[in-house]
Amino acid sequence: MQSGRRWRLPTLRLLRAASPWLLLFAALLGVRLSKGAVLADAYALLSRPFWPGTAQREWLQSAQRLDQQARLASLERDNQRLRQLLALEQQSGADVTAAVISRELGGWWQQLLLGRGSLAGLAPGDPVLAPGGLIGLVGAVTPTTARVTLLTDSSSRLGVWVGRSQRHGLLVGTGTSRPLLRFIEKDPGVRPGDVVTTSPASTLVPPNLTVGVVQSVDDQAVPAPEAVVQLSAPLEAIDWVQVRLRRGVKR
Amino acid sequence: MIALARQRWCVATALVVPLLTLASPGILKLAGVAPSWAVLWLLPWALVDGPLSGALAGLGVALLLDGLHPGPLSQLPALLVLGWWWGRLGRGSRIQRSFSLGLLALLGSAALGATLALQQWFWQLQDPVTWRTVLAQSLITALLAPLLCSLQLLLWRRSSQAFGPAAGLRS
Repeated sequence: MQSGRRWRLPTLRLLRAASPWLLLFAALLGVRLSKGAVLADAYALLSRPFWPGTAQREWLQSAQRLDQQARLASLERDNQRLRQLLALEQQSGADVTAAVISRELGGWWQQLLLGRGSLAGLAPGDPVLAPGGLIGLVGAVTPTTARVTLLTDSSSRLGVWVGRSQRHGLLVGTGTSRPLLRFIEKDPGVRPGDVVTTSPASTLVPPNLTVGVVQSVDDQAVPAPEAVVQLSAPLEAIDWVQVRLRRGVKR
Repeated sequence: MIALARQRWCVATALVVPLLTLASPGILKLAGVAPSWAVLWLLPWALVDGPLSGALAGLGVALLLDGLHPGPLSQLPALLVLGWWWGRLGRGSRIQRSFSLGLLALLGSAALGATLALQQWFWQLQDPVTWRTVLAQSLITALLAPLLCSLQLLLWRRSSQAFGPAAGLRS
């Protein structure tokens, strides 16, 4: 017993004396077990004024954009060359930029009126592009105006292509902002999210233009499945469009 | 009865209809649907000027508007009949109350919408929002009619009184 007491008392004293160091050790152990949480947070807090700013992010983004644009341009050139080899499309026409001077998107007709007409070289049937993709075809022209029948107009019909499943379909306007995509075969294998473009073999409209994204597919429709397509160009917000002239394009 | 049509500037006001249709001011839209400006112009004209003039005015305005729109839909039959009908009504009694004007405009634009819906069905055009368009257009047209049509009625009555009898004597 006595020896035991003698043994214990110094130990307790020792422990009391060493307690700050023990606490420190526990804290260090905590840091170690939490994978350096406190240290990393403290470093983040201290170094916050020196973090890479928005300027640096913008540099990187602009570099990325430049890279993508250059690749897109080279791919387009390549594509054009291959198409010429296939004699699919001899030359693509010039783009004419035109202002939207009247917009009818609700009601019985879905159309735009552009501030350029036959004097600028526009002709019925020319495809009209906006930021986001194809929005419609020129329906009629006067010397200084052109009327665009939008893809959403109930009289609009356009052959399109679903790239992922490699199927053709007919894009039928419904008078709402979402046209209907009618397929020809029973099992088109199309899913929501598929991108709809103009047909790569098309000669009526420029090939491979983005049209929209499939929103939903109705497999039960008769006689063939139908899909609802959301156009990729925001029709409500478009003030300027580009009309791709087909004059001189061999058809 | 065709007193107004003799005044060239009266006829020229019909040109405002296609211009307003093209401009389609966003503030005067209901659920994105613009009012039928043709109905709003034709109603007072026909009420003052009789069935023949009303039908001819309807025909003229419909020709102007059909030229502005793509597709096979035409407003011509509806506007022709409406002009004739409103002309008959105006000859029988002096319609000028706001409520009557609103009701006539409501019926007129609903009939116009119905003929367009019928044509859509005939041409097999897909339009799931047809009835919403008919409803919205009828309502906004009827709401604007008391305001715009009563002013035009006043103007047309005044000019037909100013010029009408004299023109009648001359002919």
